Amino acid sequence: MEGATQTDQFIAGGLAALGIEADEVDLAVIAAVHQLLWPPIVELLALDTAGIEPEPCPDMSKAPGE
Amino acid sequence: MSSGDPLDLGLRAQAAAIAAGEVNPNGLLDAVLARIEQRNPALNAVVETFPERSREMLSAAPPGPLHGVPLVIKDEWPLPWRAQRFGAAELTVPTAPQESGPYRVLRDAGATIIGVGNMHELGAGSTGATSYYGPAHNPWDPERCPGGSSSGPAASVAGGLVAAAVGADGLGSVRFPAAYCGLTGLKPTFGRAAMEGHHMAPTTSLIVSGPLCADAGDCRLLGSVLCGEELAAGDADGLRIGVVRDSVSEDVTPDVRGACEEAIEALRGETGGEVREIELPDLEIAAVAAILIINSESMGGTTPQQLNELHPELSPVARGTLKYRMLLPAAATVQATRVRAMMRRRLATLFEDVDVIAWPTIPAPAPPLDAPVVDLPSGPTVADQANVRGGALANMTGIPAISMPVGLSDGLPVALQLQAAWGADALLLDAAEALERANGRRWVEARPPLAEATSAGA
Repeated sequence: MEGATQTDQFIAGGLAALGIEADEVDLAVIAAVHQLLWPPIVELLALDTAGIEPEPCPDMSKAPGE
Repeated sequence: MSSGDPLDLGLRAQAAAIAAGEVNPNGLLDAVLARIEQRNPALNAVVETFPERSREMLSAAPPGPLHGVPLVIKDEWPLPWRAQRFGAAELTVPTAPQESGPYRVLRDAGATIIGVGNMHELGAGSTGATSYYGPAHNPWDPERCPGGSSSGPAASVAGGLVAAAVGADGLGSVRFPAAYCGLTGLKPTFGRAAMEGHHMAPTTSLIVSGPLCADAGDCRLLGSVLCGEELAAGDADGLRIGVVRDSVSEDVTPDVRGACEEAIEALRGETGGEVREIELPDLEIAAVAAILIINSESMGGTTPQQLNELHPELSPVARGTLKYRMLLPAAATVQATRVRAMMRRRLATLFEDVDVIAWPTIPAPAPPLDAPVVDLPSGPTVADQANVRGGALANMTGIPAISMPVGLSDGLPVALQLQAAWGADALLLDAAEALERANGRRWVEARPPLAEATSAGA
């Protein structure tokens, strides 16, 4: 399948480019995690955040702007 | 419901009985060690005890609110005699025995650390199904997940090994096990509870320590110790409860939905408050944003070489997940920080109109340990994926949250989560106590069969 091929290439190619070794078990786990996590990541990236003012170094113990 | 045995008292009652001279703390320590020996083989909640160290702590214990009370601490902080393992065969960051913040505040409050609680491997799961030590088991059904990542602390309290335990919450890791095990668990406002010595303390913007106890009053006591300040009791009169009509409240089992709606109505009635429907879009995107943020905070400094030399006893899931994290795009993490800013501002606005936001802590009761998948209206879903969408918001924005038991579904606990504005930790405890009054403490006093079955002979 085309989708599976692209995923395999992304995972194997990415790991190889970073010099990270992966055996068949690693690749199977990574493929499963990727299947769960990647769609919401794509959705996140597609979210229009152009109008959102960044909050640099937020103080997480307080409301923004406090 | 207490059997009358000091071992079965809650935290406040145990501390009060010791303070009144009704319970000898040395005898209690020995009795707790004996109970751990008796019950822990079925639970695997406590991965290590150190009787001599515990006795040394007790003999040097100062007067304090927890004087002489034995507690369990999650395998996430170092102790002066033991480095944390984080539920794993190996961490990619150096660790060493030391006085962590939670250790210091417990010691200074007079508590005795009696054991280390099991946890989901590397803190990377909401079920507790995977651990270097083998999984902890849910006292309500040992074949079920205890919740994670604070699996051992929760199972040790629900199983009656100790009256309270210290966990940690980075994406729901106190609240999920509290929910699965029928306990009350508080995730304090970020930065408020002791965190020093945690291997991610210098980098995290999400993780906090938090109490897992039988009820809100016990969480108030232990939470005050962890926070180094009293989470003073007030009232929740006129509580404005915000509810969201979204997957977090609707893609849940019918039993969960029914119990949570009933609890919200009971809370409204008890406080003379009101329920308001609110809009809080993009919760699922916020959940993945939180995952990306905690991923970036946990992977800093990790090298490909380290990933090529992982400990052979690290689980296949942990090995694969660690390697996969290196592939996540930086642009997505930057986007995640923008989503965080957006959600924080939305919450700040919402908390002008409501005091708490309520939805189920977990969309379904504890799934089987050997297949942590839950059946939801949307279909079978990996429990981690389902749980995080309701748990991550508090961590990514810094607000406090509490989980409390509100019913049983086929003999397994279900739970309601309340979230409040930054610093309103005490209000959450007030609200949880109001709910306990409203339902006659029925659910906080419910005990799992395992604890009931062996109390008489313990």
